[in-house]
Amino acid sequence: MNGAVPTTIIVVGLGLAGYALLTTARNRRVGLGLLIVLGVLEILLLVLIGLIVAKLVGGGHPPGLPLLIGYLIAMPLVPLVAGVWGAMERSRWGPAVYAVAGLAAAILMVRLHELWTVIRV
Amino acid sequence: MSEPGTSPRTAAPQSAPPTEEPQTPASKTEAPQPQSTRTGPGRLLVAVYGLFALSASARAAVQIATEFHRAPVAYVLSAIAAVVYIIATVTLVRGSLLARRIAVVSCSVEFVGVLAVGTWSVIDPASFPDATVWSTYGIGYGFVPLVLPVFGLLWLRHWAVRSKTLPAN
Repeated sequence: MNGAVPTTIIVVGLGLAGYALLTTARNRRVGLGLLIVLGVLEILLLVLIGLIVAKLVGGGHPPGLPLLIGYLIAMPLVPLVAGVWGAMERSRWGPAVYAVAGLAAAILMVRLHELWTVIRV
Repeated sequence: MSEPGTSPRTAAPQSAPPTEEPQTPASKTEAPQPQSTRTGPGRLLVAVYGLFALSASARAAVQIATEFHRAPVAYVLSAIAAVVYIIATVTLVRGSLLARRIAVVSCSVEFVGVLAVGTWSVIDPASFPDATVWSTYGIGYGFVPLVLPVFGLLWLRHWAVRSKTLPAN
């Protein structure tokens, strides 16, 4: 597995965090732009999950399989839950939730790499 | 934007016929006062608490189920941390008087816990062959575990003061 997808997720996640914090600083609520970036992040995470599952099915043996499975379940939920939770807010604090989701996605990539070094960053 | 009527602020105000009352009392635009502990800054607080509740409980569950004997102290403390984060998330979302009181206790336990476990893990690293969320004051989580209870308690204090000035709630 080359590191293109996780690296892209880190870039998009940090980009989302920056964009969201800028939106918070400008005192705007969640808009279409943030929703689109969050959607892209979700799609990338689903692609990565597919790649990891393919690796597992193909006979990969990660050292911490139960935790990895936990990550695979939790990962796609982060942008979904954050998306709904942040869009419900009608103030600048909605975008701040999106910033958390973007940072969390980037940090998840580092954790995944620590968990199973096959997942490069 | 497909449903008309749900967003009256987009309609031109002078040309609108008076069929639908446009002046709903809780109108938006200028920074609305947070209506509960889960709105305004509380929205962000709940999101961060929820994230920690998810990651701490997943981590604790896996550790205890698969390798408890390797580091029992660390894993029990991870589980306690997970419970504290879940309680804080739920009570901040609910926001009733009782929920806020429980949240004050749980955030206090969290703050004492991160200070105590942080200090313990620095003085006696041998007790922690594997890290907890609170090891070295939460260094593995960017020290967010150290500042989170402070913001939680400040937010709850804000609400305690506000509910005194507004006894209607």
